[in-house]
Amino acid sequence: MLSKLIAIFWKDTIIRFSSKSELLFFLILPVVFTLLLGNFRPSGSDTDNRVPLLLVNEDNSALANNLVAALAQLESVRIVALTRSEAETAFAAKEAPALLLIPVGFEQALLTGETAVLQFSQLPNNNNGNVAAQAVQTAVNQIGQPLAAARNATVEAAARRPFATEQARTAFFNASLQMAQEIAQEIPPRVTLTQPQAANIDVNSYDPAAQSSAGQLITWVFILLLGTSAMFAFERSKGTLRRLLTTPTSKATFILGAMSSNYLQSLVQMAILIAFGMFVMGVNWGQSIPALTLLLATFGLTAVSFGVMLATFVTSTSQANNLGVMLGMSMALLGGCWWPLELFPPLTQTIVKVLPTTWAMQGLTDLALRGHGVSGILPETGALLAFAALFLAIGLWRFRFE
Amino acid sequence: MKKVWIIGWKDLLVLFRDRGALILMLAAPFVLTLGLGLVTGSFAQNNSTGTGLADIPLAVINLDEGELGTALVDVLTGSDLADLLEPEVVTDEATARLRVEKDELAALVVIPADFTQSVIPNLTTGERTTAVPIEVYANPARPISAGVVRNIVQAFVSRVDTGLTVTQVTVTQLVRVGLLPMANITSAAQAIGQQQMTQIQNEGAAVIEIVRETAVGASNSLNSLAYFVPGMAIIFLMFTVSMGGRSFLDERRSGTMARLLATPTHVAQVLGGKVFGIFLSGLAQVGVLVIGSTLLYQLYWGDMVGVLLLIVAVAIAATGWGLVLATLAKTPAQVTSYGSALMLIFGVLGGGFVDMPREGLLKLASRITPNAWALDGFMRLHKGGTLADITVELLALLVMGALLFSTVVLLFNRRSLLADR
Repeated sequence: MLSKLIAIFWKDTIIRFSSKSELLFFLILPVVFTLLLGNFRPSGSDTDNRVPLLLVNEDNSALANNLVAALAQLESVRIVALTRSEAETAFAAKEAPALLLIPVGFEQALLTGETAVLQFSQLPNNNNGNVAAQAVQTAVNQIGQPLAAARNATVEAAARRPFATEQARTAFFNASLQMAQEIAQEIPPRVTLTQPQAANIDVNSYDPAAQSSAGQLITWVFILLLGTSAMFAFERSKGTLRRLLTTPTSKATFILGAMSSNYLQSLVQMAILIAFGMFVMGVNWGQSIPALTLLLATFGLTAVSFGVMLATFVTSTSQANNLGVMLGMSMALLGGCWWPLELFPPLTQTIVKVLPTTWAMQGLTDLALRGHGVSGILPETGALLAFAALFLAIGLWRFRFE
Repeated sequence: MKKVWIIGWKDLLVLFRDRGALILMLAAPFVLTLGLGLVTGSFAQNNSTGTGLADIPLAVINLDEGELGTALVDVLTGSDLADLLEPEVVTDEATARLRVEKDELAALVVIPADFTQSVIPNLTTGERTTAVPIEVYANPARPISAGVVRNIVQAFVSRVDTGLTVTQVTVTQLVRVGLLPMANITSAAQAIGQQQMTQIQNEGAAVIEIVRETAVGASNSLNSLAYFVPGMAIIFLMFTVSMGGRSFLDERRSGTMARLLATPTHVAQVLGGKVFGIFLSGLAQVGVLVIGSTLLYQLYWGDMVGVLLLIVAVAIAATGWGLVLATLAKTPAQVTSYGSALMLIFGVLGGGFVDMPREGLLKLASRITPNAWALDGFMRLHKGGTLADITVELLALLVMGALLFSTVVLLFNRRSLLADR
């Protein structure tokens, strides 16, 4: 029986990789998507990896320049100072995810006790835009505190005795501002962010590379293994499945051989993508190699079982391939492989637990982010095995050779 | 001309009768858009956060005996943040930490004892106790949610520090210029401090206000589907045109192309008909998706003339790419593989899945995709733009289609495109 399994494995591998285009889905697309969606930038290069923020300073006052200086000190954004028309053109061309406009009258509003307004625009569906928004808020908070103090002191003083001249008001304001800035510098940190000791990442500096690598691994391995259905459909259409019935090869041996060949190919693919994530994206896959191996092996089993089940529903190779892509991408999307599950509405987070991709992604998250070991991923592994058993049972029950 | 139309119409019917092809042409875009809508919360009517992030589970422990601890708890449990947070005031710190570690909570906020005393100085002595920071114990599996909680707590303490600085600077300055007698310092400080405390709790008017908007309008009114639906439609348009390109090779292999060439139909008419068929298929697909999404998702597309012209232009550009695929591939299976790969790569480069940064090489790469140009055009129209606002996008798509078609026709003999190789 072993020699038959090896023969089937070899046959399927030759068929799959007879066309060089198979490498597209096996390796090239997963790598390209992981790089692009993980915002990958080569380390050690001269490129500034900070998020670009287009800045238009139409006020050009001392206080406006204070805000610009506060932004320039932040590590998350890179200021790109432009004129209004240049900035609007660049923003329209999506050269940066965000644009901040400091309008004329910014300082005047602050000095006269009004609320100074900043215009901030960001691109939709863009995480870097949110990073830039947070940076702007941080800078505003930083300079807002001394400004509030100086403004309040000036208003109180004016209420008790109006300033003789505008220069006197400005001088008082500036003196108050300087005092407030000195006080602000002495304020100790009021909030500390801590995390469980076992955590595998620093929550203070979240890097989407781990999420991207894990998500794309599940997506493309899943699509590959759903291709098991296409292989069965192909053999059924060619009549080779029928011919197998005349040979001394049992149905069980053939199905096991076909599943094994696809499964082993997926293990190779997963190993390549894990190595890519580790050495190129800098992903730390956790402290436990046995846990990672167990999770991926179980996930592969679930996916190939789903492929066998799918094979019993399709009637052509084209249907199988297209359904594989559609189902693979949809289930990956809903399983949190493209966007973190925490961003989903609470009800959706519960509903998607019916998908195996959700459990696989949860398991990889537990390993890569929470630093869990084998015991920590047992619930996910158990769920994936249950899915595998269910899919395989349905697939074997419905399987027909003709 | 009639023959060109007949050939094109025939190809359209053949493609739309292929149930396997319909899965990726029509079903996949709708299913993925539905998924994206569920993920981003676009279908939630009361989604005031504008994203899917809502009801972040967190626990709060208040060990502080002073008013600041109570004020922070009130902020976290108040109605203003009711959509964003799902807070729980607890007393057992160890259990709460365990729940964070078990991924039941996004964060635990621990307000330490003596927090108020460490922030607000004693009015008589002016002394503070040793600084004790608030701890946000974050779940590493939910970094974004934990970050949101941290930012809310940080914003609160920033307002507190602002209030204290305001009080200190105001009183000091008034004394310095002789507007406040030394004997009245304490009462003045109390009055100003009380005023600031009210502002902290009610989030009074900020010194600097940031008016935020996304590129398609005010942030609160953005419907993410307005971005995803055209993105998905254009991604799978590339699949459709690749199937159209595949029909060249299918007909060559099956022999129907040879029979067609044996009829009194000029080669140019056959080629024109096939190209027209690819274009019609793409046009029909995008048209169905636009109409379907308008009915299903109540989507607003904008100026209808602009939308129609944009659909035609992107179908022309995509047809050019379908023709390139048909020219370069040697077998129908190759067309399908390369076509699917091109569909996905163009999709991610063009911003159909997520908005990609357009810097350097990525910017150049996105510009060769019909996706990027078409998506920009649809966004402008959705934002209220008119035909004049999408002139650049329309021209770019038409030029792309013309260039690709010219390249194929000039570089490859028409007969070699239609005859078996």
